[in-house]
Amino acid sequence: MTPHIVVAGRLALRDARSVETFSIRPFRPPGDVAQLRRDVRAFLREHQPVGGAARRANCWAVGDSAFSRALGAAGYIGMIWPKAYGGHERHPLERYVVLEELLAAGAPVGMHWIADRQSGPLLLRYGTEAQRQTYLPAMARGELHACIGMSEPGAGSDLASVRTRGERTADGWRINGQKVWTTNAHNAHVMIALVRTSEGEKRQDGLTQFLIELDRPGVSVRPIVDLAGGHDFNEVFLDDVLIPDENRIGAEGAGWKQVTAELSLERSGPERYLSSYALLVELVRLAGGDADPTLKALIGRFTAELWCLRQMSLSTAAKLAAGEDPALEAAMVKDLGNSFEQEMPRVVQGALEHIDLAAPADLSRILSVLLLVAPSFSLRGGTREILRGIVARGLGLR
Amino acid sequence: MSESLPLLCETAEKLFRDLAERQAPFAAAWAEIEAAGFPLLLTPEVEGGFGGDWQDAFAVLRIAGAHALAAPLAEAIAAAHVSRRAGWAPRDGLTVIATSSAAAFVGDRFTGTVAAPWGRAATYVIARVSDRVVRLAVADAAITESANTAGDPRDALRFDGAAAEDAADDDIALWGALARTAQIAGALDAALSLSITYANERVQFGKPIGKFQAVQQSLAEFAEEAAAVNCAGRAAACAADCGDASMEIAAAKLRAGQAAAIGARVAHQVHGAIGFTHEHELHRYTTRLTSWRSEYGNERSWSAYLGAWAVQQGADGLWPAIVARADVQNGS
Repeated sequence: MTPHIVVAGRLALRDARSVETFSIRPFRPPGDVAQLRRDVRAFLREHQPVGGAARRANCWAVGDSAFSRALGAAGYIGMIWPKAYGGHERHPLERYVVLEELLAAGAPVGMHWIADRQSGPLLLRYGTEAQRQTYLPAMARGELHACIGMSEPGAGSDLASVRTRGERTADGWRINGQKVWTTNAHNAHVMIALVRTSEGEKRQDGLTQFLIELDRPGVSVRPIVDLAGGHDFNEVFLDDVLIPDENRIGAEGAGWKQVTAELSLERSGPERYLSSYALLVELVRLAGGDADPTLKALIGRFTAELWCLRQMSLSTAAKLAAGEDPALEAAMVKDLGNSFEQEMPRVVQGALEHIDLAAPADLSRILSVLLLVAPSFSLRGGTREILRGIVARGLGLR
Repeated sequence: MSESLPLLCETAEKLFRDLAERQAPFAAAWAEIEAAGFPLLLTPEVEGGFGGDWQDAFAVLRIAGAHALAAPLAEAIAAAHVSRRAGWAPRDGLTVIATSSAAAFVGDRFTGTVAAPWGRAATYVIARVSDRVVRLAVADAAITESANTAGDPRDALRFDGAAAEDAADDDIALWGALARTAQIAGALDAALSLSITYANERVQFGKPIGKFQAVQQSLAEFAEEAAAVNCAGRAAACAADCGDASMEIAAAKLRAGQAAAIGARVAHQVHGAIGFTHEHELHRYTTRLTSWRSEYGNERSWSAYLGAWAVQQGADGLWPAIVARADVQNGS
């Protein structure tokens, strides 16, 4: 060890030790929460999702149009939106309870997930009255689906470098460019696209959000097949797409601010730690007839992590519901949550005896899917490195 | 949570910081801690205590951890709690709960060895033997002195046919685990704070090392671990005030043990060689984190405990059980 010049000349104790980066809030939804859970579980028993066990893994990326319509009819989409727009005026924490019940059951919520989570709330906050009237009721019915037009070939983590351009025309805008990794664009009716409308002084300036109906001339959607053979995301090409100015969301040039608010919604939900929950369920099922202490200990570790992440997630949801921005908390929960979702399949594969990934058993199917798709968990919605950068800024290091 | 919690925390902050700065000898420090009433935090006011709950105790013990308090406050608070549950009258002098014991009753006499933090300074020790909890007079024991990784007393008390008060079973490790989780939460926050300050001050390659992404990413991971323990610990304390909290405490201590190891690793990596010296204060936190991780159940013991609990709930019952407990604890 190199000798060091002593910088701490004496025992220097500093004041107030707490670096309270994570604000802890009580989670208290109004009304009878136990009844709400019973209602959601009863709905799930009535609307048993179709398809095999593998669809319970990473279920918020699994779409089922009929299921989404049924969920909408039951009042579980757009729960917190005003009734005037087809919503149900429930409390945000009631919505959280419903979401976590759906995710824990492995329900196929992928078709409407983006509209319910961020596109609808974005329109409520920044959209025009006409936009809200046009889109929100159909979104809440689970009939009209949205996709997010943020990433581009040259703009991934560095979102401010989007190059898709919007030029003024006589009565609107002409959009040219390309979006990529656009989840569910092949099923969605509308994209909310982040577009460069001017060259600002800062790169974050001059960005504007637009509603682009995907059946407009000049829009073409091409599938990108993922490594598991699945088709979730797409390339979306925008060639001289003409849209009226009524399709602009919020002020011209306000896109960056709006997108940042949207990302807090995108990162703070229970889906960021529950993607692999179906595997824990199968592990417990396996352990039921087996006293293997290694397996039990593994289940214990996962249960502890799940419980802890849920506490953090509940607290983040409570902060969001109080009208504050939990960007830092959300980044922490998402990073820890993604690590948990990724660790579980990886550890299980190495810990179980005689695990045959090709076997037709539910456990094998779920494990196989998760092993394949797990790398995406810490990429989608903000990479691990970006999230830790946000945390580092919160710590005062940047 | 008591209404006077902010005042309680302020008093704790002032006293524990002061004791650390003065490096007060144990006897003097403990006298001040007792005079302030902290060991009786959970004892009802009618019995001369503070009348607080576990959320108060968590807050105070977190501050104790954040100042690396070298005194058995966690052990004493937990001992008072266990004594009350056992229906034992309070006794003068320090009572601690054992971290482990290998002992048995022969008739109504107690024979065996009990591991007791600050055993040499204690008047009574509470241990768990098979399906009973017992309170033993330390005067009856032969003491073998030892110390943990921080140099704090961890003594072995050998009893040979000693008289013992006994009561119905209570998992005393749970209360020790909850108290340790609070201390770990505080020590992690303190080590994190030191690490951030150091990273912002220490210049290499022409800039503070905290400006390097590699260092930022490590410290972000550390901050997440500290946040997890604080969140889990407070939720477990809240659960303890509501009724059965065995599952929550087990989960919180398990999580705290993992975080203690990660936090100590990152804190030392960021501090470089200076943090490895006796002169620098970092070791006061990291050596205790190392010791506390092992005490009142490590990851292995709590994962076995929680695993058994989870399997008992069953595949389809696990989620409903986890959320139903929390709904009750949140007052929904």
